[in-house]
Amino acid sequence: MLKVTELGKVVNTAAGDLEILQEISFQLAKGESLAIVGASGSGKSTLLGILAGLDTASHGDVELAGQSLKSLDEEGRAALRAECVGFVFQSFQLLPGLTALENVMLPLELHGHQDARQRAEKFLQRVGLDHRLEHYPKQLSGGEQQRVAIARAFANEPTILFADEPTGNLDAKTGATIIELLFELNKEQGTTLVLVTHEERLAARCQRRITLEAGRLEHTVAGAEAAPC
Amino acid sequence: MLSLKLLWRNWRSGELRLLAAALLLAVAVVSAIAIFTQRLEGALIKQSNTFLGADRVVRSSRSLPVEWYDSAEEAGLKQAQTLLFNSMTFAGDAMYLASIKAVSDEYPLLGELEISEEAFNHRSTTLERIQSGPPRGEVWVDSRLLPLLDIELGERLFVGESEFLASKVLVREPDRGDSLSLLGARLMMHIDDVPATEVIQPGSRIRHNWLLSGEETQLVSFLDNLKKEFSPHERIMDLQASQRGLSSTLDRGKQFLGLAAMIGLLLAGLAIAIAAQQFARRHTDQVALLKSLGAGANHIRSLYAKQLFLLAVLASLGGLALGEVLQRAIASIVSSMYPLDLAFAGVWPYSLGLLTGLLCLLCFALPPLWQLPTVPPIRVLRRDIHVATVSGFWQAALGIAAVFILVAVYSQNLVLTAVVMVGFFALLALAAGIALLMLKLGRAWGSRSGSSWRLAWASLLRHRGQTVAQILVFATAIMLLLVIFVVRTSLIEEWRYKLPEDAPNHFLVNIAQHEVDTVRDLFAEENLELQGLYPMVRARLTEINNSKPDEALKKEVGVLNREANLSWTPDLPEDNRLLEGKWWPDMNLQGQTPYVSVEQEIAQRLNLKLGDKLGFSVGGLNLEAEVSSIRSLDWDSMRPNFYFLFSPGTLDSYSPTYLSSVYIPSEKKPLINELLRESPTILVVELDLVIEQIQNLTAQVSDGVELVLVLVLFAGVMVLLAAVNASMDYRLQEAGILRALGSSRQRILGSTALEFICLGALAGLLAVIGAELLLLGMQQWVLETPLQAHPLLWLAGPIIGAAIVCAMGLWASRRVVTVPPLQVLRELA
Repeated sequence: MLKVTELGKVVNTAAGDLEILQEISFQLAKGESLAIVGASGSGKSTLLGILAGLDTASHGDVELAGQSLKSLDEEGRAALRAECVGFVFQSFQLLPGLTALENVMLPLELHGHQDARQRAEKFLQRVGLDHRLEHYPKQLSGGEQQRVAIARAFANEPTILFADEPTGNLDAKTGATIIELLFELNKEQGTTLVLVTHEERLAARCQRRITLEAGRLEHTVAGAEAAPC
Repeated sequence: MLSLKLLWRNWRSGELRLLAAALLLAVAVVSAIAIFTQRLEGALIKQSNTFLGADRVVRSSRSLPVEWYDSAEEAGLKQAQTLLFNSMTFAGDAMYLASIKAVSDEYPLLGELEISEEAFNHRSTTLERIQSGPPRGEVWVDSRLLPLLDIELGERLFVGESEFLASKVLVREPDRGDSLSLLGARLMMHIDDVPATEVIQPGSRIRHNWLLSGEETQLVSFLDNLKKEFSPHERIMDLQASQRGLSSTLDRGKQFLGLAAMIGLLLAGLAIAIAAQQFARRHTDQVALLKSLGAGANHIRSLYAKQLFLLAVLASLGGLALGEVLQRAIASIVSSMYPLDLAFAGVWPYSLGLLTGLLCLLCFALPPLWQLPTVPPIRVLRRDIHVATVSGFWQAALGIAAVFILVAVYSQNLVLTAVVMVGFFALLALAAGIALLMLKLGRAWGSRSGSSWRLAWASLLRHRGQTVAQILVFATAIMLLLVIFVVRTSLIEEWRYKLPEDAPNHFLVNIAQHEVDTVRDLFAEENLELQGLYPMVRARLTEINNSKPDEALKKEVGVLNREANLSWTPDLPEDNRLLEGKWWPDMNLQGQTPYVSVEQEIAQRLNLKLGDKLGFSVGGLNLEAEVSSIRSLDWDSMRPNFYFLFSPGTLDSYSPTYLSSVYIPSEKKPLINELLRESPTILVVELDLVIEQIQNLTAQVSDGVELVLVLVLFAGVMVLLAAVNASMDYRLQEAGILRALGSSRQRILGSTALEFICLGALAGLLAVIGAELLLLGMQQWVLETPLQAHPLLWLAGPIIGAAIVCAMGLWASRRVVTVPPLQVLRELA
């Protein structure tokens, strides 16, 4: 599902070129879950962005759903994201002017689904927010907002889901509920899951884990070593 | 469909409201002004055309071919005929050379005749308005004809061989003609009675007027065709040709309304640009999210383009509706004050309104929004990613182009466009420099002042770029408002100045030398004063530099074909200006040849230079004079004006008569009766009605102008609100932090108020500088009025700027102190 080969990212700064990511390679099979962990500034979010096709690599390549991202331009990557990628963000990224239902409907409408409303309602019901359909984000708690974001991510039935610190803005209890929900849905839909996290509990739920340190892949824990999902 | 949904959601969330409101206002201002101007213009022209008694008049010195009447009939035009000639009238032993007008049944096509049962009292309740001339067998006469013939109303008089009943006094006829021409007392009769009088003989001087009315386009095409068959005797008269004073009044009014529309539009455009910038800023994250959800740049572009197009159409329709309501309100106010028949404006102003919405969006909103689709999707993860925007240079270039196009389209006057543009951008450059300088100077001062001042000044300095931009926006808005205010005031005052309350409203012509004292005494008894006493001699210009003018020139210049009025005066008349040469006191007048001062326009048409010799024939006697100066004169002044003014005493030996003017209030009009009984040969030309008509028109136009000003004010307030709103995010955030750190409400409110006061005062000062420059440019090149500074503005500008900006700023930032700081910070996070 995801194949990363010799990935590197260099950015220009006032002090000269800065290598944020260096020689990162790994593979992830369909339906697997992967946690990317590491200290702040280790390049986790940058890696996630490149894996999801939101940003481009300086060296190496990423193959997502059998498609080399290097060979695609921004329009092509957008089409690929539309087809098989879902996102959950730390800051939820809900549009403040849209209701919970409309936020979930948005990607479905973007891709021309005729049954956007029904599907959005179904997923909001699945995340336990069927009584909050017409509420605006600012009327929802942080946990509720993240549940809306999860419903939005899964409503499009992606084959791979990227999550950037999905519990980073939530308290421990709410975070735990969100983790449960994320993995339940992941299991139900057979989605491949890539998440960036600081949280040990969350990383522990994944089948595999990679640790980044100063842009390098320090440690890979695979299969049996990880806790079962 | 999705675009419509997104539009609705964006609207609901309030993000589009400012943009939509600015668009709506732009369209409303332009369409209300365009529709109203068109209607007013139509009505005023129609009303002014009553001065012709028709929309067009074909004037001829011969009778017109009957086929022409038939073809006008076929073309569906309304028509009427009048004949004008002088003829002796008799009653008993008295006789008088009256100015006779014979009219057909359809006369007048436009306007009304006013008749009365009482002489010299046209304000009485007996005044009757009527849309037809006298029936056969009756004549209607000027009041002054009655004493001249020594009869009363209801008695009979003779014109040639026919006897008529003088049944009514004719107070006003719409097409009295050039008010300053020397007219004998009027007698109006039916055109079918003319043959029986036998006064028209071969060779008689008769003016045939053919009055036409109908649809403008129909009239134009009909006359264009007919013109090919014209002999040299025929001429088409329209308002322009017949009433110079009036048409210049209308032009001024139109110019002002055009200027108001343009300024309203610029203000609304500014509001649109600011709102679009705010919209783009707020939508950066939304676009990044949409991209992360798989929307490509093209998809985003199309989504936003469709939304904006829909917004433009909807806002334009809304604006059009608002514009229509506004113009109707204005129209009803104007019509309630004056009987004014406002016609339908036609489709053009409505289309212009709709076009404005799209044009404004394209010119003002597109540049800030252009880069939106290129926001990188990675911004959903990394908020610190820089988002490229259209470079300042291109935004400015597009803005300038936009303003130029809009100003040129709406003003249809390139000089005006150039003046406004140069003023506008010179101000921007100058203002940016001065604003930066003032901020710099204020820094040291600010740091020594109280804490509110320090906070305020620090805030202004911290956002230096934004502060300067805001000052420029405020200054522009205030400047445009000041300009429109001053232009309006000076425009109206200029009109009033031109027609003061006690402007002479009667001309006394043909006063014999021995009658001068009698006339003066008669008026002095009533405390009325004669305004200037000009000797006058009728003469024909026969030679220029000792040779007769050629036929081509004769055809072109009317003064070569008729007698002109010559006069002399020691002093240059008040409203005349010497353009070339010298006035008498600076000259040696001892020479053999007398000198003459010539009016500029005639001098130009006859190609006269200083030193040229002119030969006149004065009743068979020759008079030669040398051109010693060229003068301009003011045709709107309602004073006697002369093409040729001679050096003092030159015409003494040619038995001059005298011309004077006097202000006679309506209650003293019977004085004219007394004057004419004593001196029957004096002609009295009553101008009071003409003056009244012009004053009414002026009042109508200036009332329209005042109401239009309200619209422009709205646009100005809108810009100020938009600019204040655009800066609200960072202000709220900073105030939130300050409150969280324990600043008191009072201190935050105080420093916010001071900040806005500084902004407003700086902007006001810059606005005054800009307004003065712009006004000077307009006075010099557009309005052609004397250059004049406006010292009051220098005081008013900064004070008004500070007051308005502070009031609106505080109103917009009231949430800073009313909402808990945590909420403010969370919402902005």
